[in-house]
Amino acid sequence: MELVIFLITAVVAIAGAVAMLLSPNAIHSAIFLLINFVAISVLYVLLYAPFLFVIQLIVYAGAIIVLFLFVVMLLGAERAEDTRERFAWQRPLGVTLATILLSLIGYLALRNPLSRTAVADQHFAAPERIAEALFTTYLLPFEITAFLLLAAIVGVIVLHTAGGRELRTENQELRTKNQELRTKN
Amino acid sequence: MVPTSYYILLSALLFTLGVAGVLIRRNALVLFMSVELMLNSANLALVTFAMARQDIAGQMVVFFVIVVAAAEVAVGLALLVAIFRTKQTTDVDEIHSLKG
Amino acid sequence: MNWIIWLIPAFPLIGFLLNALVVRRERAAGILASVMVGLSFAATIAAMVVLEGAPSEAKRLTWTLWEWIRIADFRVAFGLLFDPLTAVMALLITGVGGLIHIYSIGYMHGDVRPVRFFAFMNLFVFAMLMLVMADNLLLLFLGWEGVGLCSFLLIGHYFDRRSVPPGINPSEAAVKAFVVNRVGDVAMLAALFAIFTNFGTLSFYDNPQLGISGYLDQAIVVAGEMVDLGAFGQLPLITGITLLMLVAVTGKSAQFPLYTWLPDAMAGPTPVSALIHAATMVTSGVYLIVRNHTLFDQPASAAPWVLVIGVMTAFIGATAAVAQLDIKRVLAYSTVSQLGYMVAAVGMGAYVAGMYHLLTHGLFKALLFLAAGSVIHGIGNYQDMRRMGGLRNALPTTFRLYVIGALALSGIFPFAGFWSKDEIIAHAWFDARSPLAAIMLILTSAVTAFYMGRQIGMVFFGRPRDQAIHGHESGVAMRWTMVTLAVGAVIGGLINLPGLHWLNSYLRPVLQEPEVIYTVGMGILATITTLLSAGAGYLGWKTYACDLEPRIRVGKEDPLFRYLGDLWRGMEIGWGLDWLYQRVFVRPYRAASVFLSDVVDREAIDQVLVDGTARGLVRLAHGLRALQNGYIRTYALMFLFGVILVVAFFALRG
Repeated sequence: MELVIFLITAVVAIAGAVAMLLSPNAIHSAIFLLINFVAISVLYVLLYAPFLFVIQLIVYAGAIIVLFLFVVMLLGAERAEDTRERFAWQRPLGVTLATILLSLIGYLALRNPLSRTAVADQHFAAPERIAEALFTTYLLPFEITAFLLLAAIVGVIVLHTAGGRELRTENQELRTKNQELRTKN
Repeated sequence: MVPTSYYILLSALLFTLGVAGVLIRRNALVLFMSVELMLNSANLALVTFAMARQDIAGQMVVFFVIVVAAAEVAVGLALLVAIFRTKQTTDVDEIHSLKG
Repeated sequence: MNWIIWLIPAFPLIGFLLNALVVRRERAAGILASVMVGLSFAATIAAMVVLEGAPSEAKRLTWTLWEWIRIADFRVAFGLLFDPLTAVMALLITGVGGLIHIYSIGYMHGDVRPVRFFAFMNLFVFAMLMLVMADNLLLLFLGWEGVGLCSFLLIGHYFDRRSVPPGINPSEAAVKAFVVNRVGDVAMLAALFAIFTNFGTLSFYDNPQLGISGYLDQAIVVAGEMVDLGAFGQLPLITGITLLMLVAVTGKSAQFPLYTWLPDAMAGPTPVSALIHAATMVTSGVYLIVRNHTLFDQPASAAPWVLVIGVMTAFIGATAAVAQLDIKRVLAYSTVSQLGYMVAAVGMGAYVAGMYHLLTHGLFKALLFLAAGSVIHGIGNYQDMRRMGGLRNALPTTFRLYVIGALALSGIFPFAGFWSKDEIIAHAWFDARSPLAAIMLILTSAVTAFYMGRQIGMVFFGRPRDQAIHGHESGVAMRWTMVTLAVGAVIGGLINLPGLHWLNSYLRPVLQEPEVIYTVGMGILATITTLLSAGAGYLGWKTYACDLEPRIRVGKEDPLFRYLGDLWRGMEIGWGLDWLYQRVFVRPYRAASVFLSDVVDREAIDQVLVDGTARGLVRLAHGLRALQNGYIRTYALMFLFGVILVVAFFALRG
């Protein structure tokens, strides 16, 4: 039973990833990525990680994908890429190298497979346990991530207020130039 | 019982797909999404090992990775916006002025 | 009082150092150099006085300055030796050298580099004195090399001129002299090695102060030893050593086949030719043999070869001198010829006769060279005899002195050359029992007289052939030094007159040679020789002063060329030996040098290796530069490549 669920979820995850890669529309790519994230969260459930399942859905599927979608729409990036490819030779080379990497990792993984014993404690990663570990053993990293988030917030704000004014004037200049060109033509 | 090697193989496959995505796509956003895919595949591998070893440390690491990934996405997207706002395109091949 | 012998070489050394480092003006340089040599001469006289006080069994003064080399058994002292043989040589060097220095003050007046000239002249005297005063072979070799070096430096005195009369490049002549000397030096070194290996020492005589034994007294010990030459059979050791020394002498004393440098050495200033190439450096080979006479006295030694080489050279030199057109080249070939006499003498074991001729030759050849210099100086630096003629009126003193020198050289009674030359010939006929050698020497004597007559006829008699030349007599310094030498040329025979044998007695402690008993036979031989020479000389003079005189013209061939043709041409080019060396050695070597410099050095090494490396690196840099093209996806590709390598390493390692 578990195997069946795993297989279905795995197929969904892979399909989502492939579709993300191949989709010409960036928004479609983001949605496919979302599907992938959801599949992965289901896998977390199978792996006795309920807390992470929820966190994955909230943070990744809920916040990060939304952020991506916002930026795509902000930049107008949903358009398909131009057909002219400067480095046509990179595509097959990239795929080849990726395949090599896959085979290597696969070889490493399958060489000494980790034997799976029956899970003694199904709730070894219950939220209480996680909370306990988080606020005792991993207290320092926890606090540091708080600082990290602070730094990220400040950074983002700085990037956009300082550059914002210049961008605005630059934008204005570009618009006036555009208009002049249009009137000339 | 699903053998752990299945999970690892799945993780490897997703990682490789992410790598391929970085190499193939030119849209900056999709590139970034591929990077997130790679991060997720790594997380999957970590959780797998946590389960196999009955050790919660793996899941803690994943927790932190998710936090850091969130912060990174925020800053990264801000950067992308800063770079690509003035251009009409989000093609990464347009950014090549730092050449040797 | 032994320390006084150190003063003899010390004075010229000081003169050299002062001239090289301190002195700037021509007059000061000349006077300093001459005074130093004069002081050296005085020191020599003083040393001779001191020498008289030494016991006759070990009649030598030694003074060791320090132990020069001490490596296991190889011990060499830096010490000087003063015995009668050395005294005689030192007298010649400092005496004639001093006179030539004084002459040079006048001759080199107005020269472009007088200080350099006098510095090197002093250095030369120092080196030559070291050569004759060394108490071991290594120090002798130091002097040997030193005189070779000074010869090079002084021949090349006019190094900035492309060509000097008679068409020689001074730098090339200097190099030629040095290189040909070098050939001899290699043999000298080999002889040193052989002597050390077999005798265990390089010292001539025992040195009790340092505990070094001498090898000259041990010569009899190695009489029977043989050297194994592998496929070439066996050679007696003494033969090998003396043969090597003979080669060394051939180089330094311009014997066949290494005499080609001496005629070209005339590119140097005339005082240099007088001092180095007449009186002193070229006689160092003869000194070497005389000093090592215990080796050459052995029955297995190469002494017969020495005799052969000497006689050959004497004849070749004389015949070549006949056809020369440059006034100094006649004298150069004449020197080659007279050195042949000396070498032949020592080859026969007549060491005293050889030294006798060395001394008298030093006197009259120096006189001849100085007089030739006087002629050259007087007519404005022309050396082609075809341009001269009738100069006896314009340069009367020079003319008379030249005649004295020529008579001495030709061996006319009672001038100095007669006594020494005829002693050698007598020795060849009577003592050495080589009638062939004696006949060759007598013929050579006749030829010698012929070319001197020819020269005097061409230069001083006849009509003045070049109207642009107006001769004037030389200055005081030049004249009086020549007169001094002329006195020596006249009375020089007194050194070893038959019956008195002063030189023989003086050299007895060193050479132990029996006196020559003068028989009537010798007197007859001497008379025949003299008459023959006188006749030949008169013939030479008459031909060139009267008979063929109208045919001598500037730029035209010598009149006798018409009768002798190719034979004359052969004589003129010194029998082609120099031509042969040019073809066989010089030209291929030059071609190889040009090849190495242009092709190998410039092309292969510079272009391919040096520039090629640079260009290769630049291309590599360009190639590597393409890696950083600014495109993110290319960088990502390279990342991946690296990652694969790392993963593969781990995958394939375990």
